[in-house]
Amino acid sequence: MITFTFNGVELFAISGQSVSAALLTNNERITRYTRINNSPRGLFCGIGVCFDCLLIIDGKPNQRGCITMVQSGMTVEIQK
Amino acid sequence: MIINHQILVLGGGPAGLNAAKYAANAGADVGLIDSGVRLGGQYWRHTGDISVDHAMHHNFDQGSLLIDAVLTNPQIKVYLECQIWSVSIVNDSIVLRSLFQIFQTQKLIIATGAYDRSIPFPGWDIPGVITAGAAQALLKGSGVIAGKNIVVAGTGPFLLPVAAGISRHGGNIVGVLEAAYKTSWVKGITTLIRSPFKIVEGFGYIKTLRKNKVELRFGHAVTAAHAGADGLLESVTVANIDRNFNVKSTYSLKCDVAAISWGFTPDTSIAGALDVRQRVNHDGSVIIEVDDDQRAIQSNALIEIYAAGESTGIGGSELALAEGAIAGLAAAHDPGISNQLRKLRRRAQKFAHTLSKVYPVASGWQSWLTSETLICRCEEVTYQTVREAAEELGAIDARGAKLMTRCGMGMCQGRICGRSISDLFDGNQVDRIQFASRPIITPITLGELAQEGLL
Repeated sequence: MITFTFNGVELFAISGQSVSAALLTNNERITRYTRINNSPRGLFCGIGVCFDCLLIIDGKPNQRGCITMVQSGMTVEIQK
Repeated sequence: MIINHQILVLGGGPAGLNAAKYAANAGADVGLIDSGVRLGGQYWRHTGDISVDHAMHHNFDQGSLLIDAVLTNPQIKVYLECQIWSVSIVNDSIVLRSLFQIFQTQKLIIATGAYDRSIPFPGWDIPGVITAGAAQALLKGSGVIAGKNIVVAGTGPFLLPVAAGISRHGGNIVGVLEAAYKTSWVKGITTLIRSPFKIVEGFGYIKTLRKNKVELRFGHAVTAAHAGADGLLESVTVANIDRNFNVKSTYSLKCDVAAISWGFTPDTSIAGALDVRQRVNHDGSVIIEVDDDQRAIQSNALIEIYAAGESTGIGGSELALAEGAIAGLAAAHDPGISNQLRKLRRRAQKFAHTLSKVYPVASGWQSWLTSETLICRCEEVTYQTVREAAEELGAIDARGAKLMTRCGMGMCQGRICGRSISDLFDGNQVDRIQFASRPIITPITLGELAQEGLL
């Protein structure tokens, strides 16, 4: 078990999981709000193609949660 | 630093793995590039934990043997987590760039695979609506079940392993909705009988679903998704549809995840960038055209480009393995491509062709759309906007609509919506191929470009 933070809250994850998988395990389904309609989005294609599960990871925006492996101490934030 | 290899293989799924293995065994020096953290591609996606992986896969033995053979072959250098964002031909060499490396070769084998085909419908952008491939990737790659109450829908044989896998690992499947009619299986029965392994595999999944009392309905589809007050998926509209996908009647089904796929879309991004000839396949998807040796068609005589696996037409892992072996041998200029290998490929091609006839995606899905339905998820372009571009602004094809509305111009570069927009305009071959071509393989930031010294 490792820990990472999502919007400042500490959450548990298993090493080797994707950020998307770790968020779903913690019941977090919204990764970002869209630019135009401010609609919630989450995981969609799950394999790095659709760019819907974008998050701010360790301060870097537009990171795909589905193909980023969760790391101990990682900071993950919703992207607006 | 520029990394040189005699042969570069792009993609570490069944086709790419076998291509690398066969080319290396024929004496070539091979570089194998994959964007993932582990080899195996989508088909043999795994966690790296052997006990978990064998529980998740019905046939992981074959995959792990092939992955081991590639990893331990001194003739093959493997580059993982290597996302190629640009390919070009410079001074009669093929140059591929990732963020950290530049690769150069005279011979490239494209084995970039495929991703789930999605069809737009009202609410498909709600968090909780995912592709069947996403549900599978969560389970096989991270050991996570996508939700509490899961609907699996769409069409194609892939729905069965996804639903059975989730069910077998304790997930609750509230329904499997297959758009095809049960009777249409008759069409493909002669080919199916020739491939007994596939039949056994299919019955295995159905047995698992029956044992766990999961309902499998034919002639049904999810035609709308609905969010609760929290913005998350709460229910879907399920429709009893006719063979043209027109709605006959509907009912509502509660769920927090709807995993939906309509077959697969070949990933030919790299072919467009290299000006390799593409064509529209019998199922309407854009594929890389290859000859009997899996060699692609392009104008530079000093380089060789091959393609194998789903990027040359959706056909499953057995076809990908056969095509990969042939491409690997051909690229290594090994004269020993056996008739048996070519026969194996022909048989797998026939099987794939029959399957695509059993699981057609009929144009009636367009009747599910409302004015507000998003067509392009990235740029948030609605059906109404696309229709206005056609009716009022005179867009006659997908390219025209793209220029007027930005549909297909977002981060995914039309990978998700491109096929559907072409279908909405009933696009011809040229329009479909042009719409599927993109100069940049994967988006990168201007800052990353600047770091490379390219700005």
